[in-house]
Amino acid sequence: MTKYVKYVDVTKCDGCRACMVACKNWNDLPAEPTDFLGSVQSHAKTTADTWNVLQYIEHENGKGDLEYLFRHSSCFHCTDAACEKVCPENAISYTKYGSVVIDQDKCVGCGYCVQNCPFEVISLKTYKDKNGKEYRKSHKCTMCTDRLEEGLQPACVTTCHTGAMEFGSKEAMLPKADKRLSEIKGRFPNANIYNPQGVGGTHTVYVLAEKPSVYGLPENPRVPASAIAWKDYAQPIGKMMLGATTMALVGAFVTNRLFNKEGRSESQDGGGSHE
Amino acid sequence: MIKSVVSKEYQSLQKEIAALQEKWKQLIDPETVKPNLDKAAMSAGVPAAALTAINFEIPLFLQWIEEINAILVKSNPELEKKLESISSLLNNEIAIRWIEEAFACNHDYFARFALENGLDEWVPHFLAETAIRPYLQLIAEKVQTAVDLAVPGAGCPVCGEPVRLAALEDEGKKVIHCSRCQARWNAKRLECSHCGNEDHKTIQFIQIEGDAVSQIQVCEQCNGYIKIIDTRQYIEKPSAAMLDLNSIHFDFIAQENGYYAVGERKKEGVS
Repeated sequence: MTKYVKYVDVTKCDGCRACMVACKNWNDLPAEPTDFLGSVQSHAKTTADTWNVLQYIEHENGKGDLEYLFRHSSCFHCTDAACEKVCPENAISYTKYGSVVIDQDKCVGCGYCVQNCPFEVISLKTYKDKNGKEYRKSHKCTMCTDRLEEGLQPACVTTCHTGAMEFGSKEAMLPKADKRLSEIKGRFPNANIYNPQGVGGTHTVYVLAEKPSVYGLPENPRVPASAIAWKDYAQPIGKMMLGATTMALVGAFVTNRLFNKEGRSESQDGGGSHE
Repeated sequence: MIKSVVSKEYQSLQKEIAALQEKWKQLIDPETVKPNLDKAAMSAGVPAAALTAINFEIPLFLQWIEEINAILVKSNPELEKKLESISSLLNNEIAIRWIEEAFACNHDYFARFALENGLDEWVPHFLAETAIRPYLQLIAEKVQTAVDLAVPGAGCPVCGEPVRLAALEDEGKKVIHCSRCQARWNAKRLECSHCGNEDHKTIQFIQIEGDAVSQIQVCEQCNGYIKIIDTRQYIEKPSAAMLDLNSIHFDFIAQENGYYAVGERKKEGVS
């Protein structure tokens, strides 16, 4: 099956936010009124009801000039997705198109995926059942997998009027990114293609005008080692070979590590080890 | 592919036929097809196919009929009985007549032929039509650059087929596609292809909930309709013939609502 790539050329984006509207429209997501954030940007980041957000970044370039940078931000659909690795319920899976989707029926709202996503694009939403009991489900962009199944491009790509987004096979999109990069190097010396290999490459590939960090993106995102340990080793081995007690210990250890993600190593009082 | 009311088997049969036609087209000596583009006649709505001198190769035509029979029988073995008499019925003389009548879309002739020879009514016309299309498609290929606009009401400027399918392309350009000869030409977004009506108050659009790409444009002046499909949303653009086939439920909807594939009447006072 062809793996698809959403190719986003931020240098063609004019910040019209039609992609945000098209996404809400197709996916039936409710509006989410926000307070003024000090810029044109509507939401600080993606949320459970806002699967893509247009970033507006005021950046001073090397020459002391102001650059007003835009970026359509949503799920990257990593080839090695940390969210998929850490999900204890196997609720997150890869589709044959390359997109990463959450099965809402299996999701128990544990939040491991939210904690481990290197791009912080997954969010939990709290619901109330008919007895008033609260439960949570995690949500993110699906790359409009329901549209892909019908041979259609994602809603955001379809609506983009400047051609900043294109959609097609990986083989067709990556050369476009290369070509575009060579065209804009004069105007944006720091321009680069963002298709991080630390997560095996992504199915949303950007041509960025500035370094990833300018857009708040990790320069070299990785699947956390503890996540790999959990999914690839602890879970299968535990289920096959180890006794229940040993498995609980390993599980507790890994869980503890998951929440001690790099850069947020605050102590976990009463954390997983007491489970 | 968009969910279709047409079965997978029938879709693949149509794809097979289209592939055959493409193969046949390559077999035609391009020198035997000579379009004579008379600007005046074309601007009056005469289809290019009628202005083209074609030197048909009858043996090819007969061979193609055999090939169509073969894939029809392969897809539905029950047809073997109904189709087995065809090859004995056809000779050079009848083949020439078939070609002429198929060009003229003379359904009455084929219906009579079927009746006289104990065939199902659909058989002769279907076979003849399928086998002349490579010629029509070759003409369309040759004259495509000269075909930019069509005369409303005159149908396809190449083969005369009534207009029924348009695609939205590029920045929203409305391009009419002929699913018979694969010609394509531009049209105004707000114009009825059957009567030329440009009054926005009498041109309506019918959409189906849940279908984000298709709409039916209907004209209250002539009661004609065409299907408009937004192919910009597709990852891979399907061929006009497949778009036409897979949107056949729209033809039912339009016709059940009182609209016609060919506009019928003209109210007074409309140019």
